[in-house]
Amino acid sequence: MFEGINKIGDLEWEVPVGYVPDMRVPGRFFLSEALAETLEEGAVRQLANVATLPGIVKHSLAMPDIHWGYGFPIGGVAAFDMTEGVISPGGVGFDINCGVRLITTPLTEADIAGKIRELIEALFSVVPTGVGTKSSMRVSGKDLTEIMMDGARWAVERGLGIPGDLIQCEEEGAMPGADPDAVSAKARQRGMPQIGTLGGGNHFLEIQVAQEIVDPEAARAFGITEGQVCFMIHCGSRGLGHQVATDHLRILERALGKYRIRLPDRQLACAPIDSPEGRAYYGGMASAANYAWTNRQAIMHEARKVFARIFGIDYDDMRLIYDVAHNVAKFEHHDVDGASTEVCVHRKGATRAFGPGAPDIPSEYATVGQPVLIPGSMGTSSYLLRGTTIAMQKTWGSTCHGAGRVLSRSKAKKEFRGRELREQLAEEGIVVRAHRDAVLAEEAPDVYKPSHEVVRVVHETGISGIVARLEPLGVIKG
Amino acid sequence: MSFEELDHTADVLMRVRGATMSELFSDAGRAMFHVMYGPCEDRGIMRQITLDAEDLESLLIDYLSELLFIADVENIVLCTFAVDLQGTRLSVVARGEPFDPARHAGGALIKGISYFDLAIVKEKDAYVVDIIFDI
Repeated sequence: MFEGINKIGDLEWEVPVGYVPDMRVPGRFFLSEALAETLEEGAVRQLANVATLPGIVKHSLAMPDIHWGYGFPIGGVAAFDMTEGVISPGGVGFDINCGVRLITTPLTEADIAGKIRELIEALFSVVPTGVGTKSSMRVSGKDLTEIMMDGARWAVERGLGIPGDLIQCEEEGAMPGADPDAVSAKARQRGMPQIGTLGGGNHFLEIQVAQEIVDPEAARAFGITEGQVCFMIHCGSRGLGHQVATDHLRILERALGKYRIRLPDRQLACAPIDSPEGRAYYGGMASAANYAWTNRQAIMHEARKVFARIFGIDYDDMRLIYDVAHNVAKFEHHDVDGASTEVCVHRKGATRAFGPGAPDIPSEYATVGQPVLIPGSMGTSSYLLRGTTIAMQKTWGSTCHGAGRVLSRSKAKKEFRGRELREQLAEEGIVVRAHRDAVLAEEAPDVYKPSHEVVRVVHETGISGIVARLEPLGVIKG
Repeated sequence: MSFEELDHTADVLMRVRGATMSELFSDAGRAMFHVMYGPCEDRGIMRQITLDAEDLESLLIDYLSELLFIADVENIVLCTFAVDLQGTRLSVVARGEPFDPARHAGGALIKGISYFDLAIVKEKDAYVVDIIFDI
């Protein structure tokens, strides 16, 4: 471990005040010795930089998938006082409400054996993926405004889902406080043709099988059984969200002098939560987050139709377990020194993991905690976890969001050949489809930290609990 | 002069060099489109942009963000950038071609241009900047 960082528990580390100048609180992160080998000093510095922001409460936190990003580290979580604190696009990222949803089907692995390639090809043909692809959905300017206000509900009201889907989304698929007037004409222009598209990079739609149930009680509550075929969707707010982040980052950066905020990194540009600039960013970000929920809802609708057609199952029998956001800032009530206090929680590459009895989770999950979805890298296990009381106490009800890269894309391209990977995965029974093989090399399983180790750390520290392990059968990539 | 990709685990880090500041801006545009689309030729598409900012780093971010926006909404790929830079006032004529899935789908979708550690540095014979593209 780097000099100056203290071990404070089996899997917990503290970055003391003074690690970088002007820290207001210590930093804390969760990591095993094995994962510590892949930790970048730059990521710790970014964690410490977050601790310099005005109004930060308790700690600057990072989950075990911590790695070097910009502004906040990826895996970063921080809460800010509603009066003294700030809101920052650097604590959310460019892909606002990048997130994951998991849907069960009434099928078993045996039911779909021999048809996985047909299924993947059918999904690939109806879900636009990758660079330069446009949606087949036509939305008007008025539709777009409604999408930004109503989120997934907009889609369900137009038949792209069933009413029961909404309760199974974080924020029920629409954050309050969206302000479409804080979304520029440029962002709207980008968003209109992209609703219902997956995007690129690590985004995917994956067919999975629930290989192992670890927590039967929670699995029962979540409605998942061993051997069940599921599918998982990972994507975000597309060009609309990217433009909202870009626009507001500039606005906030220009306003730093006005609020006399000094920063170690311009990417941490921020403003007081209740300032004109802070409110505008929140309103724009919430609009983009709602767009992302609509986007995942529209993609799920297409996937359900494909499953229904190929396997003759009912659309309504494919149940959404949950939809989680992993790049977002939200106003939440948490315990601060014994009192329930509203704070602005930023999660950048981190997932909300509210525990049993927490408000804002579906009543059917109230006794076990909310479902948490951790996508694996291509060809590796994904996990269904549950939120815990310990997460509420230690991490503002947050946990990891994925595996976290350990190898750059340029190195990955040198070390792996996309075609060979595709063939190797096919031998393991995993069908992979992308526009180009190069993306497969960049997303090769070995470029990520092992997802099982990241998940083991959150499980053993108690900030979430493993419910089920899901193994991939086929995937379409951006 | 040139651009090269450096190691960055999460994103794409490009080191761009230019003999002059104008050349640095021109090469930064080329670097970004190289990451996103790979090969590109001038096939008659032309776009002009004019920008001003409070400093050169902000101007570089605004310029690349504007190119990103144009490429995304117009479905075009740009490859040459004739840059006229007067202080922090920038005028660019960019040329390229329509997006062609067969040739351009090989790149990485850039979500944004990061301010993190962004500083234009004057070396002995060149201006140099490291830019992190979020992908």
